[in-house]
Amino acid sequence: MRTLRSWVLRLAGLFSPGRREDEIRQELESHLQLHIDDNVRAGMSPAEARREALLRLGGIESVKETQRDRSGVPLLQHLARDVRYAFRVLRRNPTFTAITVVTLALGIGANTSIFTLVNAVLLRPLPYSDPARLVMIWGTDPRTGGREMSVSYPDFEAWRDGTHSFEHVAAFTSRSVTLGGAELAELVPAVQTTSGFFRVLGMNALAGRLFADSDETSEAQPVAVLSDAAWKRQFGGRGDIIGTTITINQRPHVVIGIVPSEFHFIPTEVEQVYTLLPRETNREHGYLRVIARRRPNATMAAAQAELDVIATRTAAAFPRTHAGTGIALVSLEAAVGAPVRDGLLILLALVGAVLLIGCTNVANLLLARNASRQHELGLRISLGAGRARILQQLLTESLLLALAGGAAGLVMAPILTDALLAMLGSGVPLPRIEGVNIDRTVVLFTFGVSLAAGLVFGVVPAAVAAPSALQASARDASRTIAGTRAGQRTRATLVVVETAIALVLLAAGAMLTRSFLELRATAPGFVTGDVLAVGLRLPVSLAPGAQRETFFEELRRRIETLPGVRSAGFISSLPMAGGRDTLQFRLKDQPGAKPLSANFNIASPGYFKTLEIPIIAGREFSNADGASTNPVIVVNETAARRFWPGRAALGMEIAVSESTSTLKVIGVTGDVRQSDLGTAARPEIFLCALQPGPGWSTFALVVKARGEPMSLLPDVRASLRAVQRDVAISRVGTMEDVVAGRLAQPRAYTILLGAFAALALILAAVGLYGVISYSVTQRTREMGIRLALGSSPAALVRSILKTGTALTAAGIVIGLAGAYAVTQSIAKLLPGARGGDPLTLAGVAVLMLSVGSLASYLPARRAARVDPLAALRVE
Amino acid sequence: MSSDRAEVWQGTLALMILKTLDTMGAQHGYGLARRIEQTSGHSLAVNYGTIYPALLKLEQEGYIASSWGVSENNRRAKFYTLTGAGRKQLAREAREWERTAGIIARFFSPKASS
Repeated sequence: MRTLRSWVLRLAGLFSPGRREDEIRQELESHLQLHIDDNVRAGMSPAEARREALLRLGGIESVKETQRDRSGVPLLQHLARDVRYAFRVLRRNPTFTAITVVTLALGIGANTSIFTLVNAVLLRPLPYSDPARLVMIWGTDPRTGGREMSVSYPDFEAWRDGTHSFEHVAAFTSRSVTLGGAELAELVPAVQTTSGFFRVLGMNALAGRLFADSDETSEAQPVAVLSDAAWKRQFGGRGDIIGTTITINQRPHVVIGIVPSEFHFIPTEVEQVYTLLPRETNREHGYLRVIARRRPNATMAAAQAELDVIATRTAAAFPRTHAGTGIALVSLEAAVGAPVRDGLLILLALVGAVLLIGCTNVANLLLARNASRQHELGLRISLGAGRARILQQLLTESLLLALAGGAAGLVMAPILTDALLAMLGSGVPLPRIEGVNIDRTVVLFTFGVSLAAGLVFGVVPAAVAAPSALQASARDASRTIAGTRAGQRTRATLVVVETAIALVLLAAGAMLTRSFLELRATAPGFVTGDVLAVGLRLPVSLAPGAQRETFFEELRRRIETLPGVRSAGFISSLPMAGGRDTLQFRLKDQPGAKPLSANFNIASPGYFKTLEIPIIAGREFSNADGASTNPVIVVNETAARRFWPGRAALGMEIAVSESTSTLKVIGVTGDVRQSDLGTAARPEIFLCALQPGPGWSTFALVVKARGEPMSLLPDVRASLRAVQRDVAISRVGTMEDVVAGRLAQPRAYTILLGAFAALALILAAVGLYGVISYSVTQRTREMGIRLALGSSPAALVRSILKTGTALTAAGIVIGLAGAYAVTQSIAKLLPGARGGDPLTLAGVAVLMLSVGSLASYLPARRAARVDPLAALRVE
Repeated sequence: MSSDRAEVWQGTLALMILKTLDTMGAQHGYGLARRIEQTSGHSLAVNYGTIYPALLKLEQEGYIASSWGVSENNRRAKFYTLTGAGRKQLAREAREWERTAGIIARFFSPKASS
């Protein structure tokens, strides 16, 4: 209480320094007067009386100083004075200040920019009520390494009905739907859910109502919920939309409500339409993702224990499909950020390393500048400034520089972030990307990073300068060698440190570049040139049996007669377009064995020819393969080798699921990279599109052109219209675009890291150049003497080069250890990348050494050209 | 003077100032310094200047109040008086001091303990 009172008074004292000063002076004068009076009365002469009184008071100025400190807040007063002084110093050296602030602004701006992404994607709470209680529930299969597997409708029901830890459990899947009637059919992103979906998320309708359990019953009318965006775009924001009937996938649905579009669930897509999932009883069809809201008092562990019991029970009850499978619980927040977390955190660490190198350079600049301020600092020490005061002064300057750099960085950050997002593009699907902006957390981060940077680059130079200034003052502030030796040693250490960090970044950049080039050179297994790809969604009316086959045959016939078309074909999962369907099957000659699984694809005649996928054995599908002929399949090389090892696959037969008819292998094709370039081919089985098969409705039409493929699009569209009006067209592009899309993520990481590495290399080179150059300048006189004594310029260059190379080599050795570890953890970011590759490490070490030698050669050459006479006259 | 000893000295000095003001009434800085010097039997030969930071601290803490007045020799001087809070603080400090002194005394006197 008392302490508080005195601090308030002292702080108040800051605002009236004049009055306080006056009061102290008057009181001390009165004290002296009273003392002198007494002394005179005791018989001293006036002069003697005054002298004695002054002596007993103990130095009037020092008493005043103590009083001043006590009546105000000295630290604050000094700080204010230091800041004013620092401003003056920095203004007097505009070049130094500009270089430092720009270096820091770039470094801090880049950090802020990456952190903005981290904040939006990983740190900010999800926009649902009480998001910490939301969880995803996945199926797992430890035998195949499946960790986040979609599950079947019966699985979902077992989880929903067999647990007590959750308030609500819902399942959903996302599939595009055709919206609107025949003429205006449009393919839009959509989510199919169970009725509890919005209750799990805790969402409310903007208008109307959301799904109720009664909507799920089979006799209920089909209903749909629209997103705000869909309502505005597709229906012009009509006020009477609730209750109207719209057509979704050719079926009438009643619109019951609208949800805000910022609530969306599929990363990167604003889902437009929500419909209800039909109930299903097939345990083999895993296509659902399950989301749930934990009860407030149920822990994750308790919920997991409940699910484990269900997993054991299910595995025992349905051994054929569920033996060995498990259930995994993960919080929604972790699940949303998980795919990009590692990548973002590594980027943040690396951009932090770039800033660290920047700080090292600034520290070196400060060291050099402080050395040239020895005289000034020495003078201040001689005048009674303590070492702590000098340190405080120098640190204030550093922090001021750092804050200026941070402020500039904060201004630059949005520009860098926009550039970053543009570069990442759609290749790196960042969840919650719409929330990327600078908020309080980002500003605090930038402030913290700036302060930390200020300390990092400020402490060492200040600590070196303060005592050497002390020595300098003792030696009359002459340019002593001893005074700068500590500085020189520190500068050398800093260069070694920054070379080491730069080498790590360089190794990471080189590794990514190398694996990216390898990836790009990987043969996808098909020819991408001159191929147009058009996504199709078939209406329900085109069911397999007769209509679908006729549609394929008729459309292909029409397109192949178009001028400029070489061939055309259909495929259910276009390579590298992200889709995949897995089915289980048995080999005909091993009917009792456990079912096998493979990717299944429906291909039409002409597909393999169009993508120029080689036929290794047998033949591809032809128009002769139809409903009336024997069911046939084509398999890829990997499937042939996996399922019929050591035998010819041709003529072998398989049985899919419970169906009785068997499928005969008529051809073996070359492997195709189905998911991306870095992932090896999986076993692939192609069903014939002209024969009865699964009722899948998304296909891609591929057309090989005789020239520019995109120019065929109008004709292809017209042909499609002529054959069937209500087929919706989705993605359109060339096959080259499709493959490039798969390269976007590795490309983005490579460019980013390449930029970091280049920046690091330049900064390290500048740092080394600065140190060697500075030491050469300091030693001009010594060089002059050595030249005058007959040393050859070449020997001088060699000796300086040796110093520079030794520093670089030391940095490289330290950096290599770090590079080995760091590249291995970054390698996980990219399919096909290898960390710790000796060739890459050796390459970057050589590059670093060459750049280091060049950076020290330039100042060395300058030293060798010193005119001995001029050098000796410098002092 | 090391900062530790300075702290102790400041504490002791503050108590002496409060006690002196209590017995003598309003007094100026010079008078207080003189009086403390005499009372302590000249064993504390310190600079008179050290009393002023102590006075400022006590005033900031509200134990003493100051006002300008005129000395018996007609000199202008700043006079300090004890406040109510100061009197309480003095009583508290004195009790504390006696207690400490008693404990220390018992430690150093061989016959006291049994």
